Amino acid sequence: MSEATRPRPPLGRTLLRLFTVQGSWNYERMQGVGMGVAEEPLLRDLRVGGDGGAYRGAVARGAHFFNAHPYLCGLAVGAAARAEHDGVPPEQVERLRTALCGPLGSLGDRLVWAGWLPLTSGLALIGVALGLGLPAILVFLVIYNAGHVALRWWALRAGWRYGARVAVALREPLLQRATALAGPAMALAVGAALPLVAQYLSGVFLGWWRAALAVVAVGGFALLWWGRATLTGLRLGLVLLAVAALAGWLWP
Amino acid sequence: MILELQLIMLAWGTLVGLDLVSVPQMMIARPIVAGPIAGALLGDLRTGLELGVLFELFQYDILPVGAVRYPEYGPATIAAVSAAHGAAGTLGLGLGALVGLITGMAGGMSLHVVRRLNARAVQRAGPALEAGDPRALEWLHATSILRDAARAAVVTALGLGLAQLAHHYLAGGLPSRSVALLNLAALSAALAAGTAGTLRLVGRGPGLRWFAVGVVGGTVVAWLR
Repeated sequence: MSEATRPRPPLGRTLLRLFTVQGSWNYERMQGVGMGVAEEPLLRDLRVGGDGGAYRGAVARGAHFFNAHPYLCGLAVGAAARAEHDGVPPEQVERLRTALCGPLGSLGDRLVWAGWLPLTSGLALIGVALGLGLPAILVFLVIYNAGHVALRWWALRAGWRYGARVAVALREPLLQRATALAGPAMALAVGAALPLVAQYLSGVFLGWWRAALAVVAVGGFALLWWGRATLTGLRLGLVLLAVAALAGWLWP
Repeated sequence: MILELQLIMLAWGTLVGLDLVSVPQMMIARPIVAGPIAGALLGDLRTGLELGVLFELFQYDILPVGAVRYPEYGPATIAAVSAAHGAAGTLGLGLGALVGLITGMAGGMSLHVVRRLNARAVQRAGPALEAGDPRALEWLHATSILRDAARAAVVTALGLGLAQLAHHYLAGGLPSRSVALLNLAALSAALAAGTAGTLRLVGRGPGLRWFAVGVVGGTVVAWLR
């Protein structure tokens, strides 16, 4: 189908479905089912003419195994749907999806999980510690989700625009720059937040209790750092609370 | 706590639990959001903010990549706020942290169970999926989301139940020294987890310098206040 005669793709509907992409996350196909659900509206044109075999085949492929960062799944959804419309052979569409898992996972983890999210939440922590209260939380939600929704929308549009040549989209300068800046900005924000929240939460401690807090926190950090293969923050917290409860009970 | 308020907390916890993985991942599942809103619902914003901050530090210890298993701190923070609020300041952060960490652990285990149930459902629907049946695909997806909603509701209910038990058996019954020790344990563990988790994200590259600059800047601001 030529570009001029191609109907307008229902990208909005697909975007809405992409917000649920992990709703059926499982150890069998990971995000595959959610990807298939999101891609399906973009494949409906394939039902026109023929016996619907192309449509059903594309829907089945769309639900195969997939795992990447949820906010960037739209890139693969758009690219795979566009490739199906362009008549790319099925095995090549499968290879395209498989090839996108690693890069989209890695990019999303660096950009969002290790960048944008801790950066904005660190700023929210600073806001709360400085006494801004609930408005700091609301600003966090608005700013974080502005970036979140923009990334999802960009990914879907870029995937649909480039199709099988979607690797071009991943080399966009703005994306590269955002990924490079996200890490240092996150480090600065969370670094600044830690002493401020320590002060905010330790207001009830006075005198030697503050010194004890510092000693236990440093000790806990050392245990978590060197025992990171087995020890988690949750386990450390439960162990320290159990020790505190025991100490409080034994203390004459 | 009156029943209506418990039901509102349960509904909020269910939304928060759904947001973590399923729908729509807009980060209401972050403790820094879940806690203050729970506090506001209870008319105790201060406790909500404090426990939201505390559990946000624990959250930094988690990087949710691939099939990794991790605790769920959203409903856990709501349960923690409920526990600390009900204790009317007699137990505070320590009791909240205890209830929240246990709930977080249960939440993490429940995620694993739901993922296994989803996998079984996918296996059962395998022939329809391979035939490209869109209705089977959408039905499978919708029921999985409902399964996650039920999971989130059960985890929140468990946490709120634990909070009630804690009020009943502990509030007012512990000496102030024990309360202070529990608070100290909770806060030091959260600070340790937050710092270690952040440093794992930052790594040894140039980000470490920015982290150091941030710590120095934050310390100066804290000292000046």
